[in-house]
Amino acid sequence: MKLNFRYQDKGTLIHKLNPFVKLAWVSSIVLLAMIFEHPLYLLLLFLATLPVVIAAKGWQEWLSLLRFVLYLSLVIIIINSLVMYHGTHVLLEFTFEIPTLGQPKITLEAICFGLGMSLRLLAIVSAFTILNLTVHPDDMLLAALKLRLPFKSVLATSLSTRFMPALIDDLGRLTDVQRSRGLEIDKGKLIQKIRSRGAVLIPLLSNSLDRTVQIAEAMESRAFGARKVRTYFREIKLTPFGLIQVVAGFLPLIFGLFLRFKGYGGYRYYPSLQKINLNWLELILMLVLVVLLLAILPLATKKRWSLD
Amino acid sequence: MRIIIAVLIFCLGVFIYLAPLYFKGSIFDPNAGPFNWGLIATIFVGLSVLGFWYEFERSAKGAKEIALVSMLGTISALSRLPFAAMLNFQPCTFFIICSGYVFGPVAGFMVASLTALISNFFLGHGPWTPYQMFTWGLVGITAGWLRKLNLSPKTSIIVLVIFGFFWGWLYGIIINVWFWTSFVYPLTLKTYLYTLANSVIWDATHALANVLFIIIFGAKVINILERFKKRFNWDIQS
Repeated sequence: MKLNFRYQDKGTLIHKLNPFVKLAWVSSIVLLAMIFEHPLYLLLLFLATLPVVIAAKGWQEWLSLLRFVLYLSLVIIIINSLVMYHGTHVLLEFTFEIPTLGQPKITLEAICFGLGMSLRLLAIVSAFTILNLTVHPDDMLLAALKLRLPFKSVLATSLSTRFMPALIDDLGRLTDVQRSRGLEIDKGKLIQKIRSRGAVLIPLLSNSLDRTVQIAEAMESRAFGARKVRTYFREIKLTPFGLIQVVAGFLPLIFGLFLRFKGYGGYRYYPSLQKINLNWLELILMLVLVVLLLAILPLATKKRWSLD
Repeated sequence: MRIIIAVLIFCLGVFIYLAPLYFKGSIFDPNAGPFNWGLIATIFVGLSVLGFWYEFERSAKGAKEIALVSMLGTISALSRLPFAAMLNFQPCTFFIICSGYVFGPVAGFMVASLTALISNFFLGHGPWTPYQMFTWGLVGITAGWLRKLNLSPKTSIIVLVIFGFFWGWLYGIIINVWFWTSFVYPLTLKTYLYTLANSVIWDATHALANVLFIIIFGAKVINILERFKKRFNWDIQS
């Protein structure tokens, strides 16, 4: 059985960027996608993720995720079209009635709202994809420790990522053992298949629990928990330049919040679509937002982050 | 004090869940008010998960508790991966139920949150991750509460089967909140029910999987975990 993390070390500049910078940048995109309603702003957020995906050489993985997003987008459009009748431009009116909903009609406004929300989803998923593809789980956990998240929980998560390859090996070995004893794992009906898999999973559980004792003993023999202050073999260092990069990662969010506070980025879908009238000032502000969003790329080329 | 805080958090959660349905025309109206309900719900869920992590920080005394929950979380996460393409037919909810039932609510929550966190390193993280951690966490917590009923081994399996079936559906009811609050307008009971209707197949397969796994493996897995609990001298506070 071969299972891989979504993360693949492709050695790109985005991969080498400090995880805090990527966290700040992705948080900015996700939060802005949640607070903006205007389809143009949402489109900008989505488009801003694409150069970063390309720079991270994550194009293929990104495309495979797109299928999932397209399915969800379709659901968003269908639900919104079916339940929202406040639009004034009726495109289709059915003759039958649905209990509690009445006579269904599909309006242009409802479809546009669904499309707008799909853009929001695209921007969010695309931003998260960058995080998934370019930050190693270990670095994510080191960052969590640095953010002072509960140590024991982070350690448990870190241990889990360590156990995973060992358990995958065990699972393969147990499957081979059971097969050599004549067990046909993939044959039979659903119940039979579940039972056959149990013949592998139950010994795996017993073995793993025994391993737990060894791990706990190993930790205690190294005086785990003896001191409140801990030292780490690896630590994410945030240099002054790294700090500037993190601030740069948050700048789009700060600027976006300012825009929203000033009344930009909102949009009215119902009862009829609001006309999009962009004046020069708004265009310039949008351009500034794009520049801030894409600033991560030149900043990534400047300096590499170091793990100690 | 902890109980008061827990009750307050519970009330806040219920308020966030129900406000979209009842506070029309007020500042809390999600369809007209100034608040972004999707963001508020996600932040609340994230903070709830963090709260339980702090609870584990307080109650886990040593290395063995940490090693055990991480191992159970790994097994549960691993069991999810081969089933990822089968709608929601997967055994990890079953593992979470058994872990919570044997080792208590805090361990149940931790195993659940690790399941979502670790498996999503393979399947992909997203805004759904905190919701999965939270909802599966609730499965683990409530399974831990069942322990207090002091059921006989035979009765406990029957109760767990019903419990698993119930949670197969409830999981969908809770986790759909992120989708509903973020992408559907207006936020009304009707639109929520439509969102739920969209996931009926997922929730039905989830409930079916829970029932089948508990019937087939429930007694065996609980026995193994019970034996290990005695051997391990498990003493996590819950």
